[in-house]
Amino acid sequence: MSEEELIADASHLTGWEKHRFLVMIGASIVIALMLVAVSMKLYESSGAAQLDLSRPGYEHVNEKVTPSEVFKGFSAVGELDKAALDEFQKMYSKRAGQATNVDSFGGDVMNDAALGIDAPVGEPTQPAQ
Amino acid sequence: MNRSLVTSVCIAVSLLGGVLFGVVAKAEDTLPMTDEHIARIRANCVDAQSTLFQLHASDAGLRVNRGQIYESMSTKLMAPFNSRIVLNRISDESLLTTAAQYDQQLAAFRQQYQQYEEAMSKTLDFDCVAQPVAFYDSVTDTRAKRQLTHATVVELHKTIQKYGSEIDIYAKNFQADKQ
Repeated sequence: MSEEELIADASHLTGWEKHRFLVMIGASIVIALMLVAVSMKLYESSGAAQLDLSRPGYEHVNEKVTPSEVFKGFSAVGELDKAALDEFQKMYSKRAGQATNVDSFGGDVMNDAALGIDAPVGEPTQPAQ
Repeated sequence: MNRSLVTSVCIAVSLLGGVLFGVVAKAEDTLPMTDEHIARIRANCVDAQSTLFQLHASDAGLRVNRGQIYESMSTKLMAPFNSRIVLNRISDESLLTTAAQYDQQLAAFRQQYQQYEEAMSKTLDFDCVAQPVAFYDSVTDTRAKRQLTHATVVELHKTIQKYGSEIDIYAKNFQADKQ
């Protein structure tokens, strides 16, 4: 097919047919952006963001996280006899001790006085305008 | 036609009244902030934000560390043990109930921590020098959410101990039945 024939064929193409490759690329980008937006929404709403210590500003915290030890736990199958009960009780009391030995999120570290944003003592009770 | 119009107006007035009552009640609960207090917040809030930033980071690590242990109590101990007693047809209602209660509390803990973390992030994003009152309100809200998270942690600990006590009773009854 000669160049003239190709040009002649192209002159008969509709606008859609002429630009369909560009439209495909544009549509791919739009779909990709939509999927990223949905993923980000799920990342935030599912609580995964709160557990993600690779976020900027959390690198030093990541070092303090205790690596997840290989804890196989108790087997869900098998006969239940005295030995199995003893094994479970031992396993449970050890793990329960680890779970309850820290008073997480307790204390009064966020009170106004600790943060230095409490009301001054003996101040006049003139409301702010 | 007229009757439905009157009904609609009555409902609208009731709703508006309810909203206004809520706003007034809330305003009465909050003491007005003084100029001195605002000035103090403005002067110290950058240091406060720095403290909160460190707390935010350390709480994130705590959430991951404690979360792993709390999850394993359910998925690697309570659930397998309950499955085993059911399979052996020596089930115990109290153990199943306590494990279900623990799972509910664990779900509440995840949700409350998420709400606390979002509130804390919002507090840290404030331009506290420009908006000291809004910053103070945000700190108050974050503090309340942290206390709620702590209360759920206390409940989780109680349930862990309760399940442990029930296991002891179960073991004693099991031994007595075998003899």
